[in-house]
Amino acid sequence: MSKIVILGAGISGHVAAAHLRRKLPKDHEVVVVSPNSNYQWIPSNIWVGIGRMKSEKILFPLAPLYKKKNIGFKQAKAISFFPEGDKEEQKPYVLSEYVAGDKKGQLEKVTYDYLINATGPKLNFEATEGLIPGTNKTYSVCTYTHADHAWEGLNALIQEMKKGKKAKILIGTGHAKSTCQGAAFEYILNVEHELHRHNVRDMAEITWVANEYKLGDFGMDGMLLSYGGMTMKSSEMVEMVFEDRGIKWITGAAVNKIEDGVAHYENLEGEYKTESYDFAMLIPSFSGHGFKAYDKNENDITEKLFRGFMIVDADYTVKPYEDWSVQDWPETYQNPTYKNIFAPGIAFAPPHSISKPRKSKNGTDITPAPPRTGMPSGITAKIVADNIIDSIKNGKESLNHKGSMGNMGAACIASAGFGMTKGSGVSITTFPIVPDYEKYPKTQGRQLSKTFGEIGLAGHWLKLALHYAFIYKAKMKPFWWLIPE
Amino acid sequence: MTERISKYQRFKMMNPIIQFFKFIYLSIKIMFIVAGGHGGTRKVN
Ligand SMILES: Cc1cc2nc3c(=O)[nH]c(=O)nc-3n(C[C@H](O)[C@H](O)[C@H](O)COP(=O)(O)OP(=O)(O)OC[C@H]3O[C@@H](n4cnc5c(N)ncnc54)[C@H](O)[C@@H]3O)c2cc1C
Repeated sequence: MSKIVILGAGISGHVAAAHLRRKLPKDHEVVVVSPNSNYQWIPSNIWVGIGRMKSEKILFPLAPLYKKKNIGFKQAKAISFFPEGDKEEQKPYVLSEYVAGDKKGQLEKVTYDYLINATGPKLNFEATEGLIPGTNKTYSVCTYTHADHAWEGLNALIQEMKKGKKAKILIGTGHAKSTCQGAAFEYILNVEHELHRHNVRDMAEITWVANEYKLGDFGMDGMLLSYGGMTMKSSEMVEMVFEDRGIKWITGAAVNKIEDGVAHYENLEGEYKTESYDFAMLIPSFSGHGFKAYDKNENDITEKLFRGFMIVDADYTVKPYEDWSVQDWPETYQNPTYKNIFAPGIAFAPPHSISKPRKSKNGTDITPAPPRTGMPSGITAKIVADNIIDSIKNGKESLNHKGSMGNMGAACIASAGFGMTKGSGVSITTFPIVPDYEKYPKTQGRQLSKTFGEIGLAGHWLKLALHYAFIYKAKMKPFWWLIPE
Repeated sequence: MTERISKYQRFKMMNPIIQFFKFIYLSIKIMFIVAGGHGGTRKVN
């Protein structure tokens, strides 16, 4: 009988646990190890951060659901990996520390037959001096607690604006290598929309600051998309939206230091500049969690498992941008050394960025890291779960389920304002996520019929529908598996 | 603020009836792209 341990209960960990449990007979054990007692639907944090949705609406406690579904749950965090066991423990294990309850602070060797590392990113605020959510007038919307704080900060500023204060709002990325520009894009449009609703739009100057070379890059090298019967660049589309909303922008900016109300950044020209603000929401860089790994003699083998994030079946050879190809991207998310370890979602180490790497004149690398949004996180988790299920059922390794980001579509439904009749959304789909310049040489690596943009109220409804559908699915309510990742 | 989106375009973007049909259309199209499958990119010898 097999024991599958899943580290993390975010989008990818939870999807993997749900599919494994549904498809594997009960005598196989599925155990989730995660420090947060709640599941959270992160994409809706945007609405928490503008006070239009309570954080309780985007989360639910995991323990009762897992108990009902016969999934083991340890509210603990993984610390180090022992993929060969150690001198006393024959089986591979993950050393984990309980973070709550009676066992708080206790360490446990959580043994496994298969391990899924779905720990997502570490929100690496420390990489930018002074970027601490809730201080220096900067906020984050990356977790529901951060988003609650962001709304407190924004609301306080709105109240001051109502009394006549002129304010500057800065939203974007807080590091030269941040990713998740899409989330910041949604937030800036939602903030702008809310200022109208509170009748204070005239009092605010809103500025986008990002490490992307051009607007609409989104860490994916931008895209050519069909929009309203035309073929348009994503940069043109975002420029149109920003100009229409009166949002200024600064691109190619590596924010490197935050002081109270002042963001310091370097641009691609090598100039060091500052931007003042009364409220900022800046996405930090994402990094691996700094896990260590040891062999059975307790020698450090971290480099076999991690290069920041977890090493999987990608081609990590260092090569120039011109030589990058979709084949560099992983297909099964299996660690090449320890084949019973997998890393879907954000937890896997990408081979390189997707956007063209750029350096400032001073040599600072200003390149967005590749995004791994909710949809690919869910899809890759299901692929991993399906391969483990097949391997268990067949009694030998089976890797028939494959899904490279170079052969996978994604939909990014960016909210652009909340409201059943006044809301809006920018819906963008892209296929593939990683451009395949060989297959689609004339359309910047993407299939145009599947790469399109739409702006309007329907986008808001769609995002809201996805919110309810995915929370329904995450709660594993009847027929949840019919809802695709 | 520069009016980059014309009044007519804006009307279409915000009209609930037009947008209802757009919602159905987008849901189906997105479902098609997502459920349309994924796979590897490397050639198997
Ligand atoms: C504000 C915001 C808005 C977004 N909006 C969208 C959107 O509209 N559409 C979209 O597709 N994507 C969106 N994304 C991206 C999406 O949220 C991520 O792609 C997705 O959450 C990644 O899933 P994951 O499971 O890999 O990581 P996560 O969701 O981050 O999950 C990681 C899990 O690991 C756990 N963990 C951390 N450390 C440890 C440890 N040491 N041991 C065990 N467990 C650990 C965490 O508690 C968490 O449960 C958004 C992201 C943000 C921040």
